[in-house]
Amino acid sequence: MSKNLKVLRDGILFDNPVLIQVVGMCATLATSTSIINGLGMGLSTTAVLLGSNVVISLLRKFIPDTVRIPCFIVVIASFVTIVQLLLQAYLPAINDALGLFIPLIVVNCIILARAEGFASKNGIIPSFFDGLGNGLGFTMVLAIMGAVRELLGSGTILGMTIMPEAFPKTLLMIMAPGAFFTLGIFMAIFKHCVASRKPVEEEE
Amino acid sequence: MKQITTPAIRLFVICFVCALCLGICSEVTKAPIAAQAKKTQDEAMAAVLPDAQFEEIADAPLSGTVTGVTVGKDSSGNVMGYVVSCTTSSFGGGMQMMVGVDTEGVVTGVRILSHSDTPGLGALATSPDFYEQYTGMSGTLAVDKDGGQVKSITSATITSRAVTVGVNDAITWVAENGGAQ
Repeated sequence: MSKNLKVLRDGILFDNPVLIQVVGMCATLATSTSIINGLGMGLSTTAVLLGSNVVISLLRKFIPDTVRIPCFIVVIASFVTIVQLLLQAYLPAINDALGLFIPLIVVNCIILARAEGFASKNGIIPSFFDGLGNGLGFTMVLAIMGAVRELLGSGTILGMTIMPEAFPKTLLMIMAPGAFFTLGIFMAIFKHCVASRKPVEEEE
Repeated sequence: MKQITTPAIRLFVICFVCALCLGICSEVTKAPIAAQAKKTQDEAMAAVLPDAQFEEIADAPLSGTVTGVTVGKDSSGNVMGYVVSCTTSSFGGGMQMMVGVDTEGVVTGVRILSHSDTPGLGALATSPDFYEQYTGMSGTLAVDKDGGQVKSITSATITSRAVTVGVNDAITWVAENGGAQ
């Protein structure tokens, strides 16, 4: 398996930003109320993560070690702001759907964690794959949590009612405590089923 | 000394370049964004007071939760009704809405523009099932829990009251100022 594919796979599975690295909790808990919200947040984060990882990787030799964190933050915040302005101006339909999430991305520590932990130490191509892998891993978790919470909390999937009328909707699931319940159980299952298999796959 | 100056200069260069990019981007997108915002506003006004041409009343007397009023006229210049913007206080904070009221004091439409209420509860106020019921109502409204005719959202009485307060203030504004034009 080539290095880049391994970086991509680790981002999605064995080094999943939410379930293993446990970063970006605020966005995870707040936006996983439905599949659409989860996907929207996940995909916009992926786009920003790709961009910021590539830019940070390009600048990694220029950025002095002592002031790297302010440099990362300035670059990431500028990048997000430009994306937001462009969306507002030229793609209003996408902005209506995702606009809510964009300011949240700046404070999502996945972006900073990948800049600090990977992009500032690696070349452009691996950084691109790292951004893609982590972004998709984040999107996957948000979409699955969104599906569970939407189904139990509102009885719908993608806005379509699929549970019978008699099904008791648990409003708690789409409120804050439901986010913690879902995340905790998901994390435990994921660690048991997926993360523990890492060494076996490495040997193959 | 170099240990201090080099990082400082580089940080400055990065900030300068970022600020430059942001400035250029902001200038370029200013006009399209303003056009989009106006379009969104126009669409909301057209939805709450259909088939009218709008003219903002700059010196409208504001009372209660009313934050702005736009008059709607038909093609021959007769006043059809008013679109009243209100900001009321709801469960999660401020709630902005637009209420269309015709000259008879009958509600022609309600749209919630922004709110910060709970998803799945108060946020249901933005669904047509809730706000469409106001269309056609007049007089002083109250939610069913307070003995009124507005069917409130289950477990979100505060949100339902907040919308009703805004609609009431809009009706009152038109009753008091409707003849002013």
